[in-house]
Amino acid sequence: MAEDKKMERFPVTLQPDIEALLQDLSEEDFTPASEQEKDDFIQERQSTSYWKDAWRRLRKNVVAMVALGVIICLFLFAFVGPYLVPYGYEQFNKGAENLYPYHYTLEDQKRLDAEIAARTQSETMDVDEMIAKAKAEAEAKGEKFTKKDEAVIKAQAKVAANNAEASEDADPEKIRQELGIKRHLFGYSVGELERKAAGEHVFPHVFGTDMYGRDIMVRVMYGARVSMSVGICAALLVLVIGATYGAVSGYCGGRVDAVMQRIVELIYSVPEMLVVLLIATALKPILTEYVNSGGSSPLKAFVNILGPNLISMFIAFGVLYWVTMSRIIRGQVLQLKQQEYVTAARALGASGGRIIRQHLIPNCIGQIVVTTCLQIPSAIFLESFLSYLGVGVSAPLPSLGSMATDALSGMYTYTYRLIVPSLILSVMILAFNLFGDGLRDALDPKLKK
Amino acid sequence: MGKYFAKRIGMAVVTIFLVTCLTFLLMNAVPGSPWLSEKSPSAATLAALNEKYGMDKPVYVQLMKYLGNLAKGDLGVSLKMQKNRAVTSIIGEMFPVSAKVGAIALSWAVLVGVPLGCLAAFKRGKLTDSILRVICTLGISMPSFVVASVLLVTLAGGLASLKFFPTIFDPALGWRSYVLPCFSLGFYPMCYTARQTRSAMLDALNQEYIKTARAKGLKNNKIIFKHALRNALIPVITYLGPQVAFTLCGGFVVESVFSIPGLGRYFVQSIQNRDYPVIMGTTIFLATLIILMNVVVDLLYKLADPRINLTKGD
Repeated sequence: MAEDKKMERFPVTLQPDIEALLQDLSEEDFTPASEQEKDDFIQERQSTSYWKDAWRRLRKNVVAMVALGVIICLFLFAFVGPYLVPYGYEQFNKGAENLYPYHYTLEDQKRLDAEIAARTQSETMDVDEMIAKAKAEAEAKGEKFTKKDEAVIKAQAKVAANNAEASEDADPEKIRQELGIKRHLFGYSVGELERKAAGEHVFPHVFGTDMYGRDIMVRVMYGARVSMSVGICAALLVLVIGATYGAVSGYCGGRVDAVMQRIVELIYSVPEMLVVLLIATALKPILTEYVNSGGSSPLKAFVNILGPNLISMFIAFGVLYWVTMSRIIRGQVLQLKQQEYVTAARALGASGGRIIRQHLIPNCIGQIVVTTCLQIPSAIFLESFLSYLGVGVSAPLPSLGSMATDALSGMYTYTYRLIVPSLILSVMILAFNLFGDGLRDALDPKLKK
Repeated sequence: MGKYFAKRIGMAVVTIFLVTCLTFLLMNAVPGSPWLSEKSPSAATLAALNEKYGMDKPVYVQLMKYLGNLAKGDLGVSLKMQKNRAVTSIIGEMFPVSAKVGAIALSWAVLVGVPLGCLAAFKRGKLTDSILRVICTLGISMPSFVVASVLLVTLAGGLASLKFFPTIFDPALGWRSYVLPCFSLGFYPMCYTARQTRSAMLDALNQEYIKTARAKGLKNNKIIFKHALRNALIPVITYLGPQVAFTLCGGFVVESVFSIPGLGRYFVQSIQNRDYPVIMGTTIFLATLIILMNVVVDLLYKLADPRINLTKGD
């Protein structure tokens, strides 16, 4: 069908109709162009570099740009946020335990408390009162009141109290609705509300607090910071190891390549997750011991700053996950090294290292950047897994994974404690994934699907 | 083929040897020992225990002994968690539990993921494609514990007291207790498979032979399933190979969330308890399984694309 249309467009003869053309031309058309006209003809257009071109394409990709915006927001949230919130991640706020991410005004709270108290009191009687009553009844009948009877009454009272408590758990919500009390955003404890009423400036617990009264928002900020730094550092480590290994293997070829590729195959068949778990658990105590062993050296200071926690995570990730990167780079290098400019460089006497650095790596930079970027979410994934299982980042440093584990116990009552870290984690991984996809489309239009 | 298998077996032996050595050395580098518990044993007891289990000797002697036993198929006995029970028997008990959950999870992942990928590729650029892409991108961005928690909160008691499924895995409850773990374990592989299939299908649909098939008037179904899908399956198989071994041995996380008495959860516990032989045994078992799966993947390649020659290089 399409073919037919194309055929129609061809004229019958290929010769241009000169007579018709000449009729359209006037004498003026043959005067030389003025300088002004010549200048206008040359369009002012700078040559675009590879990166500018890629950025232009990336900017057009709405999804990728939104993802980039989200990443920047999360970055600010994780790295600047903790300085704005006056709570520490390990600070126990007395009297502010188990706060929900919402609060009632002071008057409403009092009404609610009074209502709850009024309802529960009518249902249960004081245990001692009941015993005294039973005793009096027994004596009136002339029977003996034994210890056993007393125990029975106590047990009954306990069950009744438990029932009352259980119904009370569901009650506040109902009572709240009956009284028409409105919820207000952010968590405040009663003490904080009183201070606020007194005119003091109190920072709210935006996401509430946990069972020790620690502010969840600050903990999520630190958790996001851990996740992001692990993601980015691990990806960089993978980049360095993988790119070097792949470039050397591809460039040298022959026997060196064969041996290096066998090693890669070996690592491929290692159960990654198991070994990462092992390395993470093994390295942490070793590094902790190293930091605590006294003395000082630059390396020790470095380990101390980042913390054994994070370093063991980077290493666990870097040791195993560079193979994919090395494979990609090797494939690229194998193709590129056949190009004339490499032969030319070699003829000029450039060393292998120089050729790799100056000619090969810059030519597969697109692939490298994309792979590195897509490595970040998988590192964040791994960190959250390890922390969730309790072998990753350990207390007191919070991590999104470990916060989710901690929240499992109170899953139904305090759902927000589970939702908040999970949501931040998922949004973070999603943003990195989408941005990486966008970057791939921008840097490597051939791959666009 | 003979040469191919000889090469694979050689590689397998080397890999298992290296994994064993690496795991052994790593374990011994960790401070702490399996004997530590609430009541710290006396020095004499410790010495006696170490002697009994050969842990007083230098690391390389222990390693040699372990390798010798391994060659005989003996993985040693558990030191702490199920004292003196053979590791092989523990694996024999735990693996079927994990394998059942894993097999169901992976089956639905493939059976749903591949057709969805085909559908997305075929409806490229249409609404169906966009919706599927959103779902799949979300799916590969959610760790399985997030999926599991969301399911737990909504379907197992949280939301409006709906309680369709049990929170804790219990085989006695039948299929109900399999639904949530299998769904959360299979969700990520499903989305990943769908994405892979979609991009491989798009590649395949652009090939000349599809045009030929279309030109000779074949039905769409036949083109997709007979010609395109077969070639598009290669990258999917590559991903699924190692994933099978991994999922069969249990998503560690999903097993912890639902308290499934499987191998994955047991492995994590054994690391926390420093139960050396269990750690070693599980790692070696899983490594073997992965190697086996890689061979199966190679054979499947050949099945999907007879042009692939296994004996010749890469």
